[in-house]
This record gives sequence, C-alpha cells and structure tokens, in this order.
Amino acid sequence: MTRYLYKELHLAASPISWWFLAGALMTLLPGYPILVGSFFICFGVFQSFQHARESNDVLYSVLLPVKKRDYVTAKYLYTVFMQMIGWVLCAVLTVLRMTALSGLMPYVGNALMNPSPLYLGFVLLIFTAFNVLFLGGFFRTAYKFGLPFLRFGIAALLLISIAEVLHHLPGLGFLNTTTGERLGLQFAILGGCALIYALCTLLSLRASQKRFEMLDL
Amino acid sequence: MAILEIQGLCKTYPAFRLDNVSFSVEPGSIMGLIGRNGAGKTTTMKSILHIVHPDAGTIRYFGLDFAGHEAEIKQRIGFAGGAADYYKRKKISQLLDVTRRFYDNWDETACEQYLKAFSLDPEKTPAQLSEGMKVKLSLTLALSHRAELLILDEPTSGLDPVSREELLESFRFLQDRGVAILFSTHITSDLEKCADHITYISKGRCLASEPMAQFLERHRQAGRGSTLDEIMVHYEKESLYDTLSV
Repeated sequence: MTRYLYKELHLAASPISWWFLAGALMTLLPGYPILVGSFFICFGVFQSFQHARESNDVLYSVLLPVKKRDYVTAKYLYTVFMQMIGWVLCAVLTVLRMTALSGLMPYVGNALMNPSPLYLGFVLLIFTAFNVLFLGGFFRTAYKFGLPFLRFGIAALLLISIAEVLHHLPGLGFLNTTTGERLGLQFAILGGCALIYALCTLLSLRASQKRFEMLDL
Repeated sequence: MAILEIQGLCKTYPAFRLDNVSFSVEPGSIMGLIGRNGAGKTTTMKSILHIVHPDAGTIRYFGLDFAGHEAEIKQRIGFAGGAADYYKRKKISQLLDVTRRFYDNWDETACEQYLKAFSLDPEKTPAQLSEGMKVKLSLTLALSHRAELLILDEPTSGLDPVSREELLESFRFLQDRGVAILFSTHITSDLEKCADHITYISKGRCLASEPMAQFLERHRQAGRGSTLDEIMVHYEKESLYDTLSV
C-alpha cells in the first residue's frame, strides 16, 4: 500500500492539491457557508486526476508488477489520504472555534452553520459524494471526468444547502449548537456519517475495480 | 515449457477483429511479430498484457495463467511500448526512484549501465528527450529488473541507424543470457538481423508462427519471395485501383 501511495504522491499527484487543503481554513470564516471548504478539498484532488491523465499515468501504472485493479486502489487510497488530512484540519479548527474562539464577536450569533460535530459529519458526506459520484463515474472510462465532477458539484451544492437549512427548521435548532447536552446527538450523527463514508467508499472502490478490469486502455 | 503461450486470442472492435491468434515464445528465443500497419500487432501486445481486455483466449506465462498471477508474472517480464510517453515533466531519476520500489529483482547496477550505454541523463525529463531517447528510457525501465521475457512494441521506431544496431546487439546479448524477447515491428530488416522465430499477423489473423529459417524457406520454395519484405508485399499488396473501384 505504501508504494502505491508513494507513486501517487511523487508522480501522479499535482502539487496544487496540497494548496487546496487550505479550503479547511474556511472553517474559521464567520457568516460563510463553511462546508464550501470541503468542496475545495475535493476540487484539489480533482486537479491531481487531471494531472495524472495528462501525464499518461494509467499506462505507466498498469505495466508495473501489480494487478490491473490495483491502479484503482491507488487512486482511492490517495483520495482518502488527502480527504483525511483535510478532515483532520477541519476537526482541529472546529475544536478551536468551539473552545478558545467561541466568545469572539464575529462568531457570536452566526446565522449560518457553526463548526460542530454535525459540520464534520457533513464534511464526510461531501467526501462520500466525491468518492461515489466522481471516482465511481471516472472509472467507467478512466479518462472522462467532466460529467462525474459536475454530478459531484451538484450533490455537494445540495448537501451544503441542506446543512444550512436544517437548523432553521422548527425543533432542529440544536443541530447548530456547539454546547449543551444535545451535542451528544451530533456526535452520534457524526459517527453515522463516518460509517456511510467508509461503506460507500468501499462499495465505490469495488465497483470501480470491476469496471476498470474490463476497460480497454 | 513455453515462456509465453497464447491460444485463441480474440478481440473485437467496431472496425477491427483480432481473430483466434495463437503462438508461443520459447525461453531464450527472439520472436518477431510482423504485419503491416493496422494488422493487429499492437492489439495483440496490449491483450497479452491485459491493457485491453480480450474477448476470448488463454494467455499463459511461465506455465501460469495470466488472470490469476498477474502481479507475479509482471515481476518477471518487461514491456516497452515505443517512446516513454508518461510524466514528461518529471525527472528520469524520479521515475526510476518510483519504479524500482515495485520490483523485487530491481538491478541498480544494470540500470546505471543502461543509463550510461544509452547516454541518458537522470536529471533530464522525458520532455527534454528526442523520440529515440524516449525509446531508450522506456527500454531502460523494462530492462533493469532482470526480466526473463521482454515484450517490445515497435522498439526500433524513431531510433537512428546506429542506435538501432546497438539495440539489436543488446537483444542478442540478452538472448545469450537466456532472456526471451517478443517484439513487434514493421521494419523487417531488424528482424532479419536478430529474430529466430516469426509470427506473422495479417488483418487480425495469424498467418504463420514458426522458426524464421523455416518461414523463409517455405515461402522461397512457393515463389512468394526470399526476404520478409518480399513475402509481406506478396500477401499484403492490394491494387490501388481495385481498392478505390469497390
């Protein structure tokens, strides 16, 4: 596994993907739909797919002494690696905003989504949409990625809209709280989102491996 | 035991069909895969490496089924498909650094020797190389892990006469060390210098697969020509008038 990741990071990935991890910093923006940051993290990974395609990465990779489907595994591994770095950054900044920065003026009375366990759960849902819609769509051809990314973009927009609207609905205000005993429910939702992320990514990987095996490169 | 055995290989595209191709490569032999442009040489090469998915047929390397032993088999074979056309902006040293991590038998000394023999500067990028030098880079990557079988798709295309001669000489050198080579080409003079077996593909079908001397003698006696060029022209030449008037 480490050699696949090494290959991805040293040859296939675009350096610009690292810069897009800075999207996690949006967690600190007051009065801003902070989930957009997770879209940018995925957009950074997308840049690496573009770079890999231009570099003819697929031909080099399938000739290495690995199974053909391992190419797909390497791409998912890289994507999850970048997403996890992004998620940890979001989590650290969320903790910071929920504790040390919670009393700062710009954050008090924020009408939009606050960084919270629920926010981190939605970040994982956006990553799930990327892994299912973009990665799963890309590996139908291994070269067409416009439509899969558009589908992901629409799904991300919907998820961001849902996250921003939910806590305004009557009785659901607790979804935007960052203190109190109902925070436990948010942690439970976060756990559910993590499960969805892991399960959907794994299923998407299996489906992509099967499709890729049958592709003529 | 054949080092590579292909039986009944079929692959259908909308405008082309590779039809029931069978041949085998013996250890230490040099097999030339010939045919005119579009005959099916590259499709055959890609199919036996699983780059394209064959519709039918069995592919066995070292007596092992390719489908079940893909990674293990790839450790023991090398492939070069003409010019190295990947990661054009990465340094050759970076390419080698990543590639060597995948091979159990990577030979650093051999790699350095090939770099030197082919005058390849590891600090250059493929984008800075001519087409011929890219072929040499591709060959260096294929040769540096002590492969027992080299599969080379048009390896001499784009090389100058001196480099071609050097490459053919290195084939004979490798053959002396027991390495088998399967290479496709439409430059038949290259084959006459080093191949000992011939597989001839025409319009997706395998017309012959036999020792070179036998192939030449059989066709000479039948009056179809005494060189590979003449034999190919005999089989392939179509009257331009006939083609256009259909």
